[in-house]
Amino acid sequence: MNLYHNSFPKRTSLIIKGFIPGISYVENSSWLHNLHPLVKLNMLICFSLTVFAVPSCMGGIILFSVLLLFYGLARLGLAFFCRKLRFILIFGLFIFIVQVLVVKEGSLLWQFYLGPAKLSLWSEGLLGGLSMMLRFINIIGSSYLFVATTDPNRLTYSLMQAGLPYRFGFMLITSLRFIPVFHYELEQVKNAHLAKGIDIEGLSPRKLIRAFRYLLVPLVISALSKVDDLAISMESRGFGLYPERSYLDSWALSSRDKIAMLMVPLIFLLFYFAMGSKFAW
Amino acid sequence: MVEPVVDIQKLTFTYSGSAAPALHDINLQVYPGEFLTITGPSGCGKSTLALCLAGFIPYAYPGKMDGLVRIQGKNTRDYPAGGLSGIVGLVQQDPETQLCTLTVKDEVAFGPENLCVPSEEIRERIYYALQSVGALHLQDRQVHTLSGGEKQRIAIASVLAMNPSLIILDEPTANLDPSCTLELLDTLKQLRKQNISIIVIEHRLDKLLPITDRLILMSNGKIVEESTSLESHKRLFPINKRTTLPQEITPHSFKKRPAIPPLLSVQNLRAGYEGRSVLAGISFSAYAGEIIAIMGNNGSGKTTLLLALLGVIKLDEGIIKWQGEDISKWRVTKRARGMGLAFQNPNHQIFENTVTKEAKLASLNLSKISEQEIEHRVDHYLKKFDIWQYKDKNPFTLSLGEKKRLTLVSLLAYNPKVLILDEPLVGQDGDRLDLLMAALQEHRERGGITLMVCHEPDLVASSCHRILFLNQGKLLIDAPVNEALVQLAQMGMEEYLPARYEFHSARKQVT
Repeated sequence: MNLYHNSFPKRTSLIIKGFIPGISYVENSSWLHNLHPLVKLNMLICFSLTVFAVPSCMGGIILFSVLLLFYGLARLGLAFFCRKLRFILIFGLFIFIVQVLVVKEGSLLWQFYLGPAKLSLWSEGLLGGLSMMLRFINIIGSSYLFVATTDPNRLTYSLMQAGLPYRFGFMLITSLRFIPVFHYELEQVKNAHLAKGIDIEGLSPRKLIRAFRYLLVPLVISALSKVDDLAISMESRGFGLYPERSYLDSWALSSRDKIAMLMVPLIFLLFYFAMGSKFAW
Repeated sequence: MVEPVVDIQKLTFTYSGSAAPALHDINLQVYPGEFLTITGPSGCGKSTLALCLAGFIPYAYPGKMDGLVRIQGKNTRDYPAGGLSGIVGLVQQDPETQLCTLTVKDEVAFGPENLCVPSEEIRERIYYALQSVGALHLQDRQVHTLSGGEKQRIAIASVLAMNPSLIILDEPTANLDPSCTLELLDTLKQLRKQNISIIVIEHRLDKLLPITDRLILMSNGKIVEESTSLESHKRLFPINKRTTLPQEITPHSFKKRPAIPPLLSVQNLRAGYEGRSVLAGISFSAYAGEIIAIMGNNGSGKTTLLLALLGVIKLDEGIIKWQGEDISKWRVTKRARGMGLAFQNPNHQIFENTVTKEAKLASLNLSKISEQEIEHRVDHYLKKFDIWQYKDKNPFTLSLGEKKRLTLVSLLAYNPKVLILDEPLVGQDGDRLDLLMAALQEHRERGGITLMVCHEPDLVASSCHRILFLNQGKLLIDAPVNEALVQLAQMGMEEYLPARYEFHSARKQVT
């Protein structure tokens, strides 16, 4: 049985699915996909810090162009960007509009009457709105790109080899391992509701309490019942016996990766200084 | 004299909080290369013994242990839980919960990695382990895409990669369908050739006995019988004691199709998930008073068929008729009044916090019977199914078999015309099985129909009237049990035949 087939898509879940993009790894073999996960993580962190550190609108535009360039390098393209980040783009636009309507500073650019209401466009509102929108899109967009191009398994193994205690690493790996299992079980529970005539659709408080009891309780109990088996299975294979462990595949940084690890922060730092001095807006 | 791999002397273990010992005065030696099968009723201490052997008792489970357990001369008391990994490997019942990584390679490498084996050697061990279980072709797969049988083989491989001298398998086939079971037994046969001692704890013995060197029967925490040859195994456990091959039970109605219209009929049904068809061209009719077995491998579409009948899955094509009326447009709740569905895993269908409430839940939701009457019926069935004593307990504390009986009670209480049961007989031993079958018989006499997914050929042969055999989404066989078994035999589906129902009966039909 395929675990990923939702056996009875409901209206509500369809609406949710339409807006919140599926945040998952997209398998591919682009340059960005093949980049060492730690280098990518480094890039993500530097990029995000720079987004916050550079307040100007111009900086935001440049960073946004860089982001789009990387989407291209990941062979995900503009269509993918727009489709997956639809919700984020709409929300960003909303931030922009609110800023434009509320902030009335700087110089007056344009003014017109819409019936009795006077609408005016101020320079600070326009620039501030633009930079806030870009900042928002840049942060979410870059995180999304990271997730879409980084195999979580590879990332975790790399982090463990770079010094993350392996117990934490396997916490992540086992939870990823059980996502399809719980997804499948959720479907089973929902089917059982139908067969027993339990109705949990709806959003009234009573319905929500029912939903909590009838949906969450079986799932939590089922999860807890797996814990013992899993613990025995892992411990009987020597998990936690020694402070260190070896690895089948080495994800150590190559010398090129190491240079990249140093260069990436430097580049972003240079960019930060350049932007800070040259552009006031 | 060869050193035994396992040397247990006067082992007694009592779980804390329990008065009676789970294991009582066990003495057991296992020698290198020996294939040992341990069996016994549920709760006899088999699994506790496995935990002792794997070194999880005394330290991982609170309780009091007396006596001595030595594995290759090492006293388990001197090692922490898991400290004997690399010497003892443990494979558990549920293939799903014992795999902890995302890919097959990582999974098999997991054990050696924990023991700090260098990567070159890990690579060799992966090759050896996967080859031993016949799963080299799976090595680049993601774990969640494997079937139950494949997962179980990977679980064995991941233990083998640690080069153990003893492997313990605790009911390794309990969650597998017949063809996966056969696959797994083949794997065990292969392993037996290597010099590894194997202990299998198992209920289903018929196919295991021929490869067993020594058979041990446990009861109430003690070893009560031991046999060392196939002849004495068979004397101890007459394999098909339940099987009375059906001569007369083919229902009255079969030879000449009855004048009454079928209660439930399906015409040219096609259904699946998100545009992908799982079932196609399914047509059959079910008449009042039939008990029908649905058989087929995992993935053949059995569960999809049950869900489609109830309307949980929408049909892509075809008609379902209920007493002659097309019900394809009916909502699930409306259909559920006439068709009670019990799913395979009881844990996913228990929602209330006491056994009585749970038993009443479906009836309250789906029938117009008065609450008093429901209570009366529930009491009746709880007593009958031997779970009355738990009526105020939380249903999640029951054993698997008890939970399965509870889900059946909750259906019988509102007496739907059609019972749709997904493996209702798992976890039921001897008397309980007879109770369940008697209840189904009663339901049949009231004019009800039972559609039952069942993997036990012996039971199907002795108590069902008809077999629907699904294969890759097609209805391959729809025939009375006798004929169906012959057809299965002709197709070489040996794993679906009752034990000793060999090919000669089939050949007789052919020639």
